[in-house]
Amino acid sequence: MSSIMNAPANTPVWVDTQRCKACDICVDACPAGVLSMKAEASSTLGAMISIVAPESCIGCNECELTCPDFAIYVADKKEYKFAKLTDDAKVRQEVIANNKYRLPEDYKGSN
Amino acid sequence: MAFNYDSYLRLEKMPTLWCWGCGDGVILKAFIRAVDKMGIDKDDMCVVSGIGCSGRFSSYVDFNTVHTTHGRTVAYATGIKLANPTKHVVCVAGDGDALAIGGNHTIHGCRRNIDITMIVIQNFIYGLTNSQTSPTTPQGMWTVTQKAGNIDPTFDGCELAVAAGASFVGRENVTQPRKLEKLFIKSMEHKGFSYVEALSNCHINLGRKNKMASAMQNLDWIDSITVPVKKYEAMTKEEQLNLLPTGIIKQDTVVREYCDMYQDIIDVHQGKRAKITQDDFVKKI
Repeated sequence: MSSIMNAPANTPVWVDTQRCKACDICVDACPAGVLSMKAEASSTLGAMISIVAPESCIGCNECELTCPDFAIYVADKKEYKFAKLTDDAKVRQEVIANNKYRLPEDYKGSN
Repeated sequence: MAFNYDSYLRLEKMPTLWCWGCGDGVILKAFIRAVDKMGIDKDDMCVVSGIGCSGRFSSYVDFNTVHTTHGRTVAYATGIKLANPTKHVVCVAGDGDALAIGGNHTIHGCRRNIDITMIVIQNFIYGLTNSQTSPTTPQGMWTVTQKAGNIDPTFDGCELAVAAGASFVGRENVTQPRKLEKLFIKSMEHKGFSYVEALSNCHINLGRKNKMASAMQNLDWIDSITVPVKKYEAMTKEEQLNLLPTGIIKQDTVVREYCDMYQDIIDVHQGKRAKITQDDFVKKI
């Protein structure tokens, strides 16, 4: 079995950057602003997925289900205690979605 | 640990050749989860695919697989199923594969009601060959063969399957991966021909010239044209006009399956039963 299935210690969501094609779907699907694209010169589309706020992950599994390329994985509910959906996370998600799926570098939170 | 897709994949073929954001990958994942939930052994499953982007499907899964000629998935699958009636046979075809060049095979597969699950990946265009009009391209859309706008009326594959006699007909949308997985499970559990249409996106070859150049825009459009079948049935004719129902559209468990009936012929030749007559059938013509 490939090691990518096994969660790195204390991680809610992780990615295989060898498989990610930067289609933005997972970033759009996330309700809690956990994911964002970042610039990556070596990628075909010039972008790569990054996990910007793992502590906000609610474990809904939407990113894993909608990823067409087997690139993103979410921990099992038994292995990791996920957060509750907060207003702060919702605002961050909106900011990411409205900024071409990239978290602005100067973003400091909703307060 | 996350769900282990890799145990069902041919890892040397990864990553997939599909474009970024292609719905085919979501359908492949939903299919793998469905097979895993049903607990089907990898050796008991045969995936038959045709030509097109959907044809790659059989290359990626680690089951018994056949990559056949264009449109002939049902023809090959019928042979495989008749020779191995205890195995699960799944056809994967695109909309052009299943409804254009293979249209005849599809309707006769439906008519025979042989126990095959046919997954039709419907992306409204010939994607692999770069944007030619397919039988399901919506009217008015730009395609490379209809640059002034498509004037050909569109085909509803599910209606065709219902009319041709498939005993299970369903449709789902790639933006609903959980529902898609459930539909796959129900269709594989059903004994008889199952026609499952999975609406998918092709933002590269359909979307770019039709104002949905990103995967999300194309998926939003698919969301906007689909509605659950119960809601759809409660609508008036005018409201239904530009919508496609999703969910289980038809399920008939009474009608006999083809492999069962074929066993009767084997029994006749082995002298185990008398010849088949018209009295053996409720509906004769």
